[in-house]
Amino acid sequence: MDALLRCTVFDYGAGNLHSLVKALEPATGPVRIETDAAAAVHETDLLVLPGVGAFGLAAECLAAGRDAMRAAILDGLPTLGICLGMQLLFAESEEAPGMGLDVLPGRVTRLRAQRVPQIGWNTVDDVTDPAAREAPLPAVYYANGFVCRPVDVSVVTGWTTHDGDRFPAIVRRGATVGVQFHPEKSSAAGVAFVHAIVHGVARGTLSQGAR
Amino acid sequence: MLTRRLVVCLDVQGGRVVKGVQFESLRDVGDPVALAVRYEREGADEIVFLDISASAEARATLLDVARRTAERLFVPLTIGGGVRTADDVGRALRAGADKVSINSAAVATPEILTESAYRYGAQCVVASIDAKRDGDRWRVYVKGGKVPTELDAVAWACECVRRGAGEILLTSIDRDGARTGYDLPLTRAIADAVCVPVVASGGAGEARHVVDAITEGGADAALVAGILHDGVTTVRALKAAMQAAALPVRVTV
Repeated sequence: MDALLRCTVFDYGAGNLHSLVKALEPATGPVRIETDAAAAVHETDLLVLPGVGAFGLAAECLAAGRDAMRAAILDGLPTLGICLGMQLLFAESEEAPGMGLDVLPGRVTRLRAQRVPQIGWNTVDDVTDPAAREAPLPAVYYANGFVCRPVDVSVVTGWTTHDGDRFPAIVRRGATVGVQFHPEKSSAAGVAFVHAIVHGVARGTLSQGAR
Repeated sequence: MLTRRLVVCLDVQGGRVVKGVQFESLRDVGDPVALAVRYEREGADEIVFLDISASAEARATLLDVARRTAERLFVPLTIGGGVRTADDVGRALRAGADKVSINSAAVATPEILTESAYRYGAQCVVASIDAKRDGDRWRVYVKGGKVPTELDAVAWACECVRRGAGEILLTSIDRDGARTGYDLPLTRAIADAVCVPVVASGGAGEARHVVDAITEGGADAALVAGILHDGVTTVRALKAAMQAAALPVRVTV
C-alpha cells in the first residue's frame, strides 16, 4: 500500500486503535503510530488524536511533548481529534487535572444529563461542517461523559443533544477538527466521514489559512 | 436524540462462536469475525463477545479474535468473560475492544471498576450483573450464574456505578434462554436506580420483548443472542419492530 498522505496517530496508551487505523488506511495509505507527542508531529500531513481513555492519564502522556504538538497544530498541521482526542484540543477538563493542548479556547465539562456517560448512537444537528456535507452523518456512535464548551461557538460545525444538554459534535477552526463521536465506530457512514476529512487534507482545504 | 440500541451477543470459546444445545453440549456455529461483520451489516448497533472458555489458554485466543474483529468491524465491540484485573481490561482494549464487561471479578474486588475507570474512562467499563429473583428482590450470582452471593442486585448496581462503571449489562438468570421476555420489573428497578445506561439481557423470544425491555423496563439497549443464531428472527426485523413502536433507532440501509 502506497502512502497517499502521511498520517500519524498519537498513541497515548489507552485504547483500541485497530478500527481507527483500518478506517484511515484506505484513504491515507499506511498509518504511523507514535507514542511520543513531539515526534508525532514530525513529517506528517495529518495528525490524529484518538479517543479512548481518561483525560488525566492522556494529559500525562501528552505532557512531555505537549508544547511541540501545540506549536505544530497552531502552525497549521491538519489535526483530527476524536472524542477524548477532541477534548485534548481544549485547555482543561473537569474530569481530571492536567493540561490539554489549548489550541481551541474553552474547557471540557461533565455532560449535564440524566444518564451519564452517553453511550450509543445519536444524531448530529445543524451541520455546517464541509466533511459532513461530503459524507452525511446519520446517527453516529458516542461514548462520553464529558463534553467540550468552546468559548467561541462559531467553531462548532455540528451539534448534538443528550437529555437536554446541547454540546458540540464537531468543531473546526482552520486545519483543526474535533469530533465528539467515534467515526471509526459509526459504521459505513462514519468511515466515509473519516475519508472526507482525509480528502480535505489532500485538497488543502483542511489547511487553509495556515502555514 | 440518543437512539435505543440492539446489541448482539456471541458466545466465544477457543476462538469460535459456540451455542449451547439443551444447556449441555456446545455446537460450533462459526467464525466470530465473520458473524460480527454480518450482524453489523444487518444493522446491529453493537457486538458483544462473551468468552465462555474454561481455561486461560483458550481465553488468550479471544484477544486475537478481538484484534481481527476490530480491523473489520466498525461498530462498538464489548468483550467479557474471565476479566480479572484492570490490566486484563487494558489488554482487551488494546486488542480491539471498545468496552470491557466485568462480572465475578467486580464482586470479588470492586476496586477493579474504579481502577479501570481511572485508567481508561468510565465509558468503557461495563459492570455485568447476573441476577435471579429471590422473594421480592433479586440476588446477584457469579461464576456464570452458578454461585449465589449475599448481594442485592439493585444495591450492587448502584455500588458498581459509584465505583466507576459507565454501563450496566443486566442478565436475568431466570429468563436466560427461556424466550419468555426480559425480566421487566428487574430491568425497571435497576434502570430507575442508576444514572448510567442499562442493557437488558436474558429472555428475548420475539421482537415485542425487545420493545418491552426498553419501554416498560426502561433499558437503553436490549441484548439478543439465541433467537438470532437460531434464525427465529433477524436484526433487521427487530430494528424494524423497534422503529414501528416509535422508539428512536439508528436506521440502516
